Amino acid sequence: MNPTLRRSGRTARLRVRRGGVAAAATLLVAGLSGCGPDISSDGPAADNAVLQAPSEDSPKGEITVWDRSGDLYKVFDSAIKKFTAKYPGVTVKHEAVDIDSKLQNTLITGTDVPDGVFLDDAKVGRYVSHLWNLKDVLAPYTKDIAKQKVDVNTVGGGIYGVPFDLDPGLLFYNAKALSAAGIDPNGIKTYDDLLAAAKKYQQFKPGAKPIHLEQDAFNSQLQLEMFASQLGTGLAGPDGKLRLNSPQYHQILTWLDTVRKEGLGTRAEYLKPSDVGALDSADEVFYPWAIWFDFAPQQQLTASKGDWRAMPLPAWTAGGARSGAMGGSSFVIPKDAKNPKLAWLLYRFLMFDQAGYTAVYGPNAVYPGGLNTSVPAYLPAADPAKPLFRPIDAMGGQDVWKTAVEAGREIPGGAPIPAWWSGAVDYLGTDLQKMLDGTLTPQQVIDKAGQDIQTNLIDRK
Amino acid sequence: MTTRSASPAAKVYREPAVEPRSRAPRRRRHTLPWRRLLAPYVFVLPFVLVFLAFSVYPLFFTLRLSFTDWHGSGAAHWIGFDNYRYLLTSNGFWASLGNSGVLWLLIVPAQLVLAVLVAVLLNAIKRLRGFYRVAFVVPFVTPLVAVAQIWIVLFDQDNGAVNAMLGAVGLPPVGWLVTSGWAKPTLALLFLWKTTGFVVLIVLSGLQQIDRGLYEAAALDGAGRTRQLWSITVPLLRRSLMFSLVLQTLAVFQMFAEPYVVTKGGPYTSTTTAGLYLYNHITRADLGTGAANSFLLVIVVMAVSLLFVRLLRAED
Repeated sequence: MNPTLRRSGRTARLRVRRGGVAAAATLLVAGLSGCGPDISSDGPAADNAVLQAPSEDSPKGEITVWDRSGDLYKVFDSAIKKFTAKYPGVTVKHEAVDIDSKLQNTLITGTDVPDGVFLDDAKVGRYVSHLWNLKDVLAPYTKDIAKQKVDVNTVGGGIYGVPFDLDPGLLFYNAKALSAAGIDPNGIKTYDDLLAAAKKYQQFKPGAKPIHLEQDAFNSQLQLEMFASQLGTGLAGPDGKLRLNSPQYHQILTWLDTVRKEGLGTRAEYLKPSDVGALDSADEVFYPWAIWFDFAPQQQLTASKGDWRAMPLPAWTAGGARSGAMGGSSFVIPKDAKNPKLAWLLYRFLMFDQAGYTAVYGPNAVYPGGLNTSVPAYLPAADPAKPLFRPIDAMGGQDVWKTAVEAGREIPGGAPIPAWWSGAVDYLGTDLQKMLDGTLTPQQVIDKAGQDIQTNLIDRK
Repeated sequence: MTTRSASPAAKVYREPAVEPRSRAPRRRRHTLPWRRLLAPYVFVLPFVLVFLAFSVYPLFFTLRLSFTDWHGSGAAHWIGFDNYRYLLTSNGFWASLGNSGVLWLLIVPAQLVLAVLVAVLLNAIKRLRGFYRVAFVVPFVTPLVAVAQIWIVLFDQDNGAVNAMLGAVGLPPVGWLVTSGWAKPTLALLFLWKTTGFVVLIVLSGLQQIDRGLYEAAALDGAGRTRQLWSITVPLLRRSLMFSLVLQTLAVFQMFAEPYVVTKGGPYTSTTTAGLYLYNHITRADLGTGAANSFLLVIVVMAVSLLFVRLLRAED
């Protein structure tokens, strides 16, 4: 046979064989691509399952709960021991997990789903279709929970998180530096008063930029929302519609822009080296931030440690609310949890049982003086006269509990957190930074960020 | 025409062997071709199964996802090319590609030049050669998060060591990580520091393939060190350099952890790389758009890589 013909025959056979293998592989892959997470039915989204409390007197079983790693994990770990002492039939597997990176995939695939998860309030809305509606189990407690916390966990009439902490905004100030400048912090009742005090301080210490202007896009949006919550509003209303183009946001942005224009603000990222340097040198003496700023005098500041105090935020108008919420977390229970009722039992103990909330907020091995970076969202636990954490030495021995709890009670409700809140940082957070750098006006921020959020986030949901 | 099977000698030789001594050898002879035929497939089967499960299947699932509006729960609706259309008309997508492109320009050419110079020096060093080679690889194996934290401290605008040194010679401080003009070069420097050791290793292995006789002959012809570098080393390293080029192009366009930790994509999204932009879609559960974004990224990176491979072939 002609070798060329023989070769071409072999090539043809080879082609056929390769084609066969390719076709088989394609069929296999096409078949496989139909597997995996269920993306073809409306099941989980339409099923608004409402959790009921366990009815057994001595419940038994095992639950897995996820918490953030670090000090808070240790606090919860010791509190959980008190829970298992009360409910010996329940075993709790307590895991420290990078929740942000693991939760979404776990919920989507339904694999190794925990029974309870500690979650930022800003993220609860994103996962509601995977979570139990806790409206019924929370019903006996709802009237005693800070309204703001109920609102941020409410989506479409359901409540999807057991509220953990309330993070009231406070005005932290360097009492020693203000005293040297002859400024009485008690005279600061409104944001106009704060501007006047900052100007006076700058006259006393030329070159100082007394008010913190946040340089991180995420944190600046979080702070903006604290100011907005103080005015009883937020980025989206209960109907999901954008509320950015409003007199409240205009007022807040204009005030921040004024701080910038008048050279009264320190541009720095929250507790990054620049920020700590300015705080310790008393160039930055006013810090409108959530209660968790008290971590700074306790752990990060050196030269100015002991000089700091906290007071309620100034009001936007005389007589207005003196605080807004900034951050916060709750506990959620996934629908695919094996023992959701036992998870509820645990969270009920931790948040609404005196033994539980005392174990979480009161003095413990991790925080001998108590956990003082937030206050309970459950109002009976947040009694100004019954402190769960002690006065803070690094804050000059101030009773921050009383200040924070009283400020927390002034936070208006009505500011739900939309599912797309963190996505808005790319637009609102970024544009806010541009304004603080002087390249956008407040109205431009409202217009531009509003349009981008509408187009890229709301319309694409 | 003579073939082995037609050869009388072969017939004579085969006769006794063909004679069966027992039934067992005959069976073995019949099964042997099947075993030979199947053996390679059996050996590669575990890899093929793993490859199908963890590479091919996710690829096709993602492709399917890219044509839907799935947000991680409920039904996914088929929306055709809407995700692709959205991305291709979105400023954010093009800005992220632009950021990655600028970082590529800042990193890859400088890295290749640096890697050749360092590799040549390492090859020439006689004493403590092992120590220096390890020293250059250390940044590559250092955890990125640790390096990123060091970068944040070094390049802080007010309290960073770099600005302190600038201040010592009378220069004004620079907003390395907080101004959009400087954030990209600062990030590029981190990437260079972290990964150049790896490229040096590749180039070093290429260097060791070059015949020493070529250098001796060139020296006899009067070529100096620089001439040898340009006329022998660089041309013969072309394949190693092209390999590094493709590899680093992929790495730069997938760059995620560096901007995520150091700048969070800012300031003003000036360091939101293509990889970080893709991640942002996924974390906000916009999975359909994220899937479409990943395919667009694959197309871009593949096109750039193919261009480099073509250039290599043209040179050959």
